[in-house]
Amino acid sequence: MAFVNIQNLTYKYPLTKTPALQNINLQIEQGEFISIIGANGAGKSTLCYALAGFVPHFFKGEISGIIEVDGIESSKSTLDEWVLNVGLAFQNPFNQISGAKYTVFEEIAFGLENIGVPREQMQSRVEEAMRLTGISNLADRSPYSLSGGQQQRVALTSILVMQPKLLVLDEPTSQMDPIGTREVFEVIHNLTQNGMTVVMVEHKVEWIAHFATRVIALKDGAVLTEGKPSDVLTSDVLIENGFGVSRYTSVAREAKKQGLWKKEKLPVTLFEAAEGFGSNK
Amino acid sequence: MHERLSFYINRDSAIHRLNPLTKLTMVLALIVIAFTFPIYWTALFLFLFILIPLSFVAKVFREFFFTATRLIFPAAGFLFVMQALFQPIGEQIIFQFYFLDVTQESLMFAFKNAMRIIVMISAFTLFLLTTHPSELMSDLTRRGLPGQFAYVIISTLQIIPQMQAKAQTIISAQRSRGLDTESTFLKRAGSVLPLVSPLVFGSLVEVEERAIAIEARGFTSKKEKTSFHEIPDSIQDKILRWVLIIFIIISILLNLWLS
Repeated sequence: MAFVNIQNLTYKYPLTKTPALQNINLQIEQGEFISIIGANGAGKSTLCYALAGFVPHFFKGEISGIIEVDGIESSKSTLDEWVLNVGLAFQNPFNQISGAKYTVFEEIAFGLENIGVPREQMQSRVEEAMRLTGISNLADRSPYSLSGGQQQRVALTSILVMQPKLLVLDEPTSQMDPIGTREVFEVIHNLTQNGMTVVMVEHKVEWIAHFATRVIALKDGAVLTEGKPSDVLTSDVLIENGFGVSRYTSVAREAKKQGLWKKEKLPVTLFEAAEGFGSNK
Repeated sequence: MHERLSFYINRDSAIHRLNPLTKLTMVLALIVIAFTFPIYWTALFLFLFILIPLSFVAKVFREFFFTATRLIFPAAGFLFVMQALFQPIGEQIIFQFYFLDVTQESLMFAFKNAMRIIVMISAFTLFLLTTHPSELMSDLTRRGLPGQFAYVIISTLQIIPQMQAKAQTIISAQRSRGLDTESTFLKRAGSVLPLVSPLVFGSLVEVEERAIAIEARGFTSKKEKTSFHEIPDSIQDKILRWVLIIFIIISILLNLWLS
C-alpha cells in the first residue's frame, strides 16, 4: 500500500458548477519529492488542500473518492487531527505569519503550543527545526521585520516543527528571488534525503528537474501526464497543452528540428543543454 | 524597527516583573477606589501619591508623563469644562457664561469626575506600558480565557499596523494613477472608494488564508494548549492580589454604608 493513496478523487467547491478535481488517481511512496505543475485553475492548489485535509473539511463542497495518508482516510479523520500528519505551507508568506507572536522563535513555537507540547520539548524542537531551514540567526527578530524569503522560511519552519509525515507546499517560492528559491529547494531536498515525503506545486522547471523525483502535470482538474522530470518536462504533450517549458528545452527543440541536437532526449537544465551541445563536436 | 500597536516599554522593574493578572487587579482596585471611596480627594490622592510614584518604580515616568499630557489631561480637561458648565447644581454662583451658571458645587463635581477619569486612564496606561500584550494573553489563556479570544486581541494589535502600511501603499498606488487625495473635501470623499475597496477585499481574502495557515498549525486542536513562556506568578503576587481585592471590597462597603 502506497504511503499516500488517492483514488477516484472528484471534488467540487460550493457554488461552482464544474469540479475542481476530476477523477484523480495518485500513489506516492515515502521519501518521494513530487512536483505538481499546471496552469492557473488546473486544480493544483485544490489538490494541495485535499492532501492537507482542507478539502473538504474547511471548504466543504462535494467530494467523492478516497484520500489516504499513512493508512488513515481523510474523510474519517477531523481536520485538527489531520494537520498533525500533513503539513501545508503556501504562497504568500505574509499571510502565514500567525500575527500572535512577537519573535520568530515564538512564532515557530505557536503550533507546538496549540497541540500541547510540553515546554521542555518545545525549545529543542524549535531549535532543531530552525537549524534544518537555516534560520537560527533570526530567532529573536520580529516575524514582520523579515524579507519575503526569510518569512517563507519561517512559515516552512513553523510547519516542519510540527513533524508532519507529509509536507505539502503550494508555490512556496513564487514570491522569491533566485537566492531565496535556491535556499527553499535545498532545505526541501535535505528533508527528502532524511525520508520526508514532499508534494510541491512549482513552476520553476529547472529546479524541479534538479530535485523532484516525479512530476505530475494537471490540466482542468485532471492528471494530464506524470513521470520522471526529465521525461515529463520535455514531453510534447506539455507543449501541446500550453505548459511552460525550460528555455533550454525550447532551444534544443528548435535545434533538433535543424539537426543540431543529436541526442534522443531534450534537456531541461543548463547543464544538460551544455552537455548535449558539447557532445556535437 | 517596525511599528506595532502596543504601548509596551521593555524595561526591567519590579512592576514589569509582576504577574499580568496582579497588575490588572491593581488597575481594577485603583478604578474602583477612585470611584467609590467616600472621601472627596481620593482620586487626586491616588494619582499624585500612587500612580506617579508607581510610574517611577516602573521606570516609565517619561512615557507616562508624555501620555498624560498629550492624551489624558486634554480629555479630562474637556470633561471638566463641560460638567462645570452644564451641571445644574448648587447656589453659590462663581461666574456666569451667557445663560450657564458655574457654581462652586458644579466646579467641585466636575473636578471630582475629571480626577476619576484621570485615575482610570492613567492606571490603564501604566498597565499597558509595563505589560507585554502576548504575556498578558498567554497568562489569561492559562487561567481559562478561550484561546480564540486571546488570538483575536493579540493578532489585531500586530495586524493593524500592517494594514496601515498596506493602506499607505494603496494610497500611493492610486495617487500615482492620478487619484486626487489632497484637494477639496468633496473630491477627497469621492476618492475614498478606490482606496478602501482594495484594502477591504484584499483583507477578506487574507483572512481566509490566515485561517488556513493557523489551522494547519493545530489552532483548533482539542488538546490542552501549552505556553512557551513561563509567566511568573509568585506568592507575593497572590498576596498582593488578595490585599487589593480586600481594598476593593472595603471601598465598596464604605460607599454603601455612608450613602
